[in-house]
Amino acid sequence: MSYAETIDQAIANCKQQTVLMQRCLTQEKLMDALKHTSIMLTELRNPHLSPKQYYELYILIYDSLSILSTYFVECHTKRHHLADLYELVQYAGNIVPRLYLMITVGSSYLQSADAPREEIFKDMIEMCKGVQNPIRGLFLRYYLSQRTKQFFQADDVEAKKANANFIITNFIEMNKLWVRLQHQGPLREREQRTRERKELKILIGANVVRLSQIVESDFTMYKEEILPQILEQVVQCRDVVSQEYLLDVICQVFPDEFHLGTLAELLATSLKLNPTVPINKVVLTLVERLNGFIDRQENSDSDDLAQKLAAFSIAGENQNLFFVFWKFLNQLSDERPDLSLQELAPVIQGVLKLTLRWYPQNISNVDVLLKFMYEKCQEYGKSIPEEYDYLFNDLLLPQEFKSEPAFFCKILTKCESYEKLLSAQNISLQKHCTNEILDTLTQAEWQISSKLELEKLLSLCGALIEPGVDKPSSPLMLEEEDGLDSDNWSLTPDQEKLAKLTHLCYNKSIDEHSELLLTCRNWYQKSGRNVRYLFPAIICNLWKLIRRCQWKIKRKPERREKLNNTTKQLFKHVSRTINDLYSACGGGCFDLLYKLNLQTAALADQSELGDIAYDFFSQAFTIFEESLSDSRTQFQAIVSMAQTLQKTRNLHVESYYDTLITRCTLHGSKLLKKQDQCRAVYTCSHLWWATEISLLGEEEGVTESFYREGKRVLECLQRSLRVADSIMDNIQSCELMVEILNRCCYYFIHGDENSTHVGVKYINGLIELIKTNLDALKLEISSVSEEHRGSNSDEDRTLIGIDGCYIHQSTLNSVAAVYSKPPSSKTANLESVPIEHFQRTLRYIQDQKDVDSRFKAIVLL
Amino acid sequence: MLLLALSDAHIPERAVDLPHKFKKLIGVPNKIQQVVLLGNCTKSYSFMKFVNQISSNVVVVRGEFDNKTIASTRNAKEEIPLNTIIKQGNFSIGCCNGYTIVPKSDPLSLLTFARQLDVDIVLWGGTHNVEAYTLEGKFFINPGTCTGAFSTDWPVQESETSGTDQEATETAAADAKTSQPTENLAADADETDDEEDKSAPSFCLLDIQGSTCTLYIYAYVDGEVKVDKVIYNKS
Repeated sequence: MSYAETIDQAIANCKQQTVLMQRCLTQEKLMDALKHTSIMLTELRNPHLSPKQYYELYILIYDSLSILSTYFVECHTKRHHLADLYELVQYAGNIVPRLYLMITVGSSYLQSADAPREEIFKDMIEMCKGVQNPIRGLFLRYYLSQRTKQFFQADDVEAKKANANFIITNFIEMNKLWVRLQHQGPLREREQRTRERKELKILIGANVVRLSQIVESDFTMYKEEILPQILEQVVQCRDVVSQEYLLDVICQVFPDEFHLGTLAELLATSLKLNPTVPINKVVLTLVERLNGFIDRQENSDSDDLAQKLAAFSIAGENQNLFFVFWKFLNQLSDERPDLSLQELAPVIQGVLKLTLRWYPQNISNVDVLLKFMYEKCQEYGKSIPEEYDYLFNDLLLPQEFKSEPAFFCKILTKCESYEKLLSAQNISLQKHCTNEILDTLTQAEWQISSKLELEKLLSLCGALIEPGVDKPSSPLMLEEEDGLDSDNWSLTPDQEKLAKLTHLCYNKSIDEHSELLLTCRNWYQKSGRNVRYLFPAIICNLWKLIRRCQWKIKRKPERREKLNNTTKQLFKHVSRTINDLYSACGGGCFDLLYKLNLQTAALADQSELGDIAYDFFSQAFTIFEESLSDSRTQFQAIVSMAQTLQKTRNLHVESYYDTLITRCTLHGSKLLKKQDQCRAVYTCSHLWWATEISLLGEEEGVTESFYREGKRVLECLQRSLRVADSIMDNIQSCELMVEILNRCCYYFIHGDENSTHVGVKYINGLIELIKTNLDALKLEISSVSEEHRGSNSDEDRTLIGIDGCYIHQSTLNSVAAVYSKPPSSKTANLESVPIEHFQRTLRYIQDQKDVDSRFKAIVLL
Repeated sequence: MLLLALSDAHIPERAVDLPHKFKKLIGVPNKIQQVVLLGNCTKSYSFMKFVNQISSNVVVVRGEFDNKTIASTRNAKEEIPLNTIIKQGNFSIGCCNGYTIVPKSDPLSLLTFARQLDVDIVLWGGTHNVEAYTLEGKFFINPGTCTGAFSTDWPVQESETSGTDQEATETAAADAKTSQPTENLAADADETDDEEDKSAPSFCLLDIQGSTCTLYIYAYVDGEVKVDKVIYNKS
């Protein structure tokens, strides 16, 4: 008898023989049926089949043998006795068909009660030794295990043991065959062999699964009988594929509780494995199972857990899982000095996961692990290559840390080794980690209240604080310019996070809180020019503290003196911080410095500290005079100053206010461009006309003490009008006059002539003047072709903004374009700007006549 | 169309981020057609990224702590204007940060501004104080600060409540027994007063349909988002 040449043919043969066998069975020709079966089984002798093909064939044959087996059982003692048949099939010519037939008959015989059970078992397993070809042997033994699995439901211990032994014996033999498969054939096909073996692994694994079914929950049996034998085989075979697979299967199929009890054994075994077996896989699988155990405990209070562990005779040393793992790690590092960082890191990570799950609040465990890793890094000597970044990233920022900010913060501040390990990494990884740390803390709105904690965190952020050479590479922001007067810097994401750290500082005590802020400042100082990103945050927090002092003074007037001293101290800190910012950045942020001074001054005024407010205003003036050079920045600075001064209330001692507002107006009148001068001066007119701050309980018409000097208001308006009049460009000049007219209306509403000095006569005169000038303007433009103007006026339109910029509205875009220089006047219709603005103002005055009878005196036509 | 007005984020120098609930509300792409940043919003990379995700149509005006320019695309800088005009529906909307309006937030000054720019709606910021009113037929909207950032403007005075407290203690001083609990109350209040120097975060959403503008004011008070609705019709 021989086998078919191709797999298709073999399958066809098998099917045919099955049909023939069935026909014979119905005709009760048993011998013929056996003959056909034998022919079919011959196909399994084919040495050219790949494991996959062999498996396909095996399945087919298994099914037909099942038919045969059913027949055997049904007709037992009626037509034949299975004991006789067992003898009979021994005469089959070839060993493979013979053994398959034998197992089929044997397993059928086992179903009858009177069968000599043990003998049959013993005989079958002994006979299987006859096939030593790996693939054929493996499948044959797999067949044996499949056919016999139904007989393994035993209740008494002895029977269980016997069954287990049967399976283990079969397992050991199968594993040997499996290992041998690796060494068959030519050397160049080694990799193919490995691949084929992996395809067959399920055959071996099935045995372990069966064992777990037998053991059920009998831990003693598992620990004393089964596991030692399996592990011995695993260690002895010295085969990578086998060891890796089997340990994984053991971890997967037996219950987690068993692993708890045999952890030490499992770990000890993993030390004895072939050095090329990835040890981290074993550890990780174990950890996953053990963590899974915890997850499955629904109400896992510690007593409950201890009881459960005691049930598996886990006590004393072994009860601390971490300790077991820790011992293992030490052994590992002693016995396997060859392990690379790349292999070691995942193991540590696994143990870290375990301790975080089992001992969630235990910091020393984490510390010990990180220290271990750090020492390994030290031993490594060289700088750690970037390919390893992901490993350390996982170690330094495991998900468990991020989801528990409180614990994370403890780790960060109390765990010495964290910082060491972090600092052993390359700069880019350090930066990445600190970024993540800061993100976690800010998102959790974590409060830092102790200086120690803060210093620890700041020292962790070292990588971000030190000014790096690399330029920020964010797509939204532009690279910074190092030009002295450029203020075009934008915040880099790194610095942004660092600045946010300042806001996390909080302490109920004002003194301690300010100490926290000063600590931040000292650390930030190291970052060179980057302080411009960081110091504003510190200043803002100092401001907040000042506000807090003020609240306290209101609540507890008896502590006013002490709190006032604290407030003054805080202002000194602000001043120092601003100065440091100045010396660190020099140019580049004058505008920022100017505004910080202004706002601090406002705050000092609100705190009723006129002297201090005056100082900060003076500082602002100094910066204005010495350093603000750009004309538009200067203009905005004056407006900003005027706005701030107009809201002050506590500067009237020593005529500070007078000095300051005069100086402000003077600066305004000396601006480079005439239009800026004009706008600045009419804006400054408000400095002599305080308006109500309702928050302070002031009310227009009720409060008497407003600082108001109408005469000076009028002087300002007159002065700005003179400037407007002297401007050569008629459009500019007219527009400014209309703006002044609007200011006049403002004051006209605010009071009558003897207080504001802006009276009907003045306004009428101004309207007259504007009219005359506009007529001149119209004359000027009448030369421009009429149709050109007409066609454009409906669609595109230009207006002049409050800072003198040109706002060009086009129909194409919902957002206007803003230019600082006038667009080409022909298309923009600039002359209509003052004309229309004037018309709108007149219409407003007309409307006011209905509301306020005083307006009736104003002549519009 | 929906127009979102955000102002005075002051990230990171004064605030960490928007309240989470705000982010959830507005951080939905393709819902809002236009975002207006009314100053002091451009210093944070993450905030700008967030805003750009809401809508690609972002209008920025300059607040006192903004830089002169902002990067619009990869290699171009755009100057941030102090004031600008948006046309939506039948409305023209004037935008500016309040820091160039003198006196600050004065309704008459703002009205002058509206007249100069010939706009129906004025969006302004800088005060960290949400408000909306109509004056002379024009609509004035200040969305406040979207992060609850600190402001150096005059704080909300507690004079009335503390005044009455004081009176209470004074009148109670005669009765020694009742003065005890009042003091305790004051001490308790002292523990919690620190939160008060924060402005409440708020922002505004304008729904503009033809000549009707529906304004929704979102404020974050005690961990909850409160919404107010105001309707303005152009006459």
